[in-house]
Amino acid sequence: MRNLAVTGGIFPISDAFKGVCSYGPGGVLRRTELRLTLTRICERAVFMTTRTLRRWFVVHKWTSLVCTLFLLIVCVTGLPLLFSEQIWDTFVGDDDPPYEVLPPGTPNVSLDVVVAKARTLYPGQIITNVAPDDDEPAVLVSMAPSWQALKDDENYPDRNSSHWIKFDARTAKVLEQSRPADGPKEPRTWTGIIMGTCNRLHISLFAYLPGRLFLGFMGGVFVASLVSGTVLYGRFMKRLQFGSVRRDRAKRLTWLDLHNLLGVATLVWATVVGFTGLVNELQTPLFGLWRVTDVRQILRPYADLPVPSQDHLSSVQAAFETAAKAAPGNEVTGLSFPGASFGSPVHYVLWTRGASALRARLFTPVLVDARTGELTGAYPMPWYLRFLEISRPLHFGDYGGMPLKILWALLDVVVIGVLVSGLVLWAGKRKMATDARLRALGYELDDADATADPTMAAEGVR
Amino acid sequence: MNSLPPKTAQSSFAASSPRSCVAVWPWPIALGGLTTFGLLSALLGQHGIWLALSWGSLSIPLVVIVVCLIRAWSRPSSKGGLS
Repeated sequence: MRNLAVTGGIFPISDAFKGVCSYGPGGVLRRTELRLTLTRICERAVFMTTRTLRRWFVVHKWTSLVCTLFLLIVCVTGLPLLFSEQIWDTFVGDDDPPYEVLPPGTPNVSLDVVVAKARTLYPGQIITNVAPDDDEPAVLVSMAPSWQALKDDENYPDRNSSHWIKFDARTAKVLEQSRPADGPKEPRTWTGIIMGTCNRLHISLFAYLPGRLFLGFMGGVFVASLVSGTVLYGRFMKRLQFGSVRRDRAKRLTWLDLHNLLGVATLVWATVVGFTGLVNELQTPLFGLWRVTDVRQILRPYADLPVPSQDHLSSVQAAFETAAKAAPGNEVTGLSFPGASFGSPVHYVLWTRGASALRARLFTPVLVDARTGELTGAYPMPWYLRFLEISRPLHFGDYGGMPLKILWALLDVVVIGVLVSGLVLWAGKRKMATDARLRALGYELDDADATADPTMAAEGVR
Repeated sequence: MNSLPPKTAQSSFAASSPRSCVAVWPWPIALGGLTTFGLLSALLGQHGIWLALSWGSLSIPLVVIVVCLIRAWSRPSSKGGLS
């Protein structure tokens, strides 16, 4: 019987049913044959599992090996990034001048006044962007010598011709300005150097877009390793209570149990953060896709028009109000002037976002014709960019206050534990294989514990 | 865990005889469900009770890890974890 089943293992599964069909109705022979067939199928299932398990193991080993180093980098650099706001505040401090104390309810001045004031400060320059601050009574106005100068910057990584002015939204007084490009450079602080390094390592390994795509790919590999790890977990834990950490046997078993426990407890979190990390790394191509499809379609009628001089544009304040009406339930977060690289030559692009908690990260651009002040339309983003916007908070963990950030950090540390224990298991296996090879060559090795342990032999699938 | 003979708890999965299997998935599913709930409740709720629920449910996997580690290290001869 056992022999039958084992030899049956090489035949396709349809063969197993042949006996059932070829015998006539009823009869002992048919029942016996059916029982035999069922047993054969069951045995085959077990037989398949060992082979499938070995395959899953290979998948887990290689996907993990490929991404472990990069994940360790990302996990470690992610820790300070989680608390970057607090780190900046603690070590650098907020050097903003204090806001003037005005009677409560003082209305904001018209944005047109702010824009006009910015123009008188830098006559001959263009305004690129106007953005009211969302939690302080301030308006940030960005300026540049010309659109062409901004375009030329792209060819020189360390050149930046744009600068900004921060106005008090209620009085239109200048609060602060960016350092001039040709002036003395801001002294670099240790905090700045460390945080900058972490940020660039975390996002792109200092390799710009290729680095981002590579890390995104590593995120995908990580998710594959989590899936295969889950399958292996199911097999390894068949005869072990959840959370067992065997400490009285081989060290390797302790590491294996730790790897399993830490891994399974943080499985969903790691999958979510890994996958949303992958989506975030894809933002450049996703925005690019939107630009060449929907955006190009919308802007086609205006594409060849010249950028009008900024002296003859319609009211900025009115454009904000038009946009608020065009996207009901949204708040307007900023305005780009016509001529910006992503926009239209003749439209103000206004960025609005959902005012409710759920939609706060879903942006809807609104186009207002800057020549006439009339609304052209509101354009909700395509599903893939909405998905990207939802993915951001789930990756950053910045949506539930300080306790959530602390939990994020702790879970991150546990994932580092999973990575390290996985590496230890792999390195241990390699050492064992080397030892076995050396023994085969006739060398006498001192440490006996690696081979004396019967559980090692039991881990045949490794 | 105490109801099981120690042999069973120790035996490796590769043992061929079909000795008592334990339910593998209830704990991982429960922890995964709590994590999912915690991630979403803060994202969708964003206020008061939902934030607190999110913190609570996301910390349970960490608490479970700590409890398992304390159990394993406080009783060196123990072969089990949570039962």
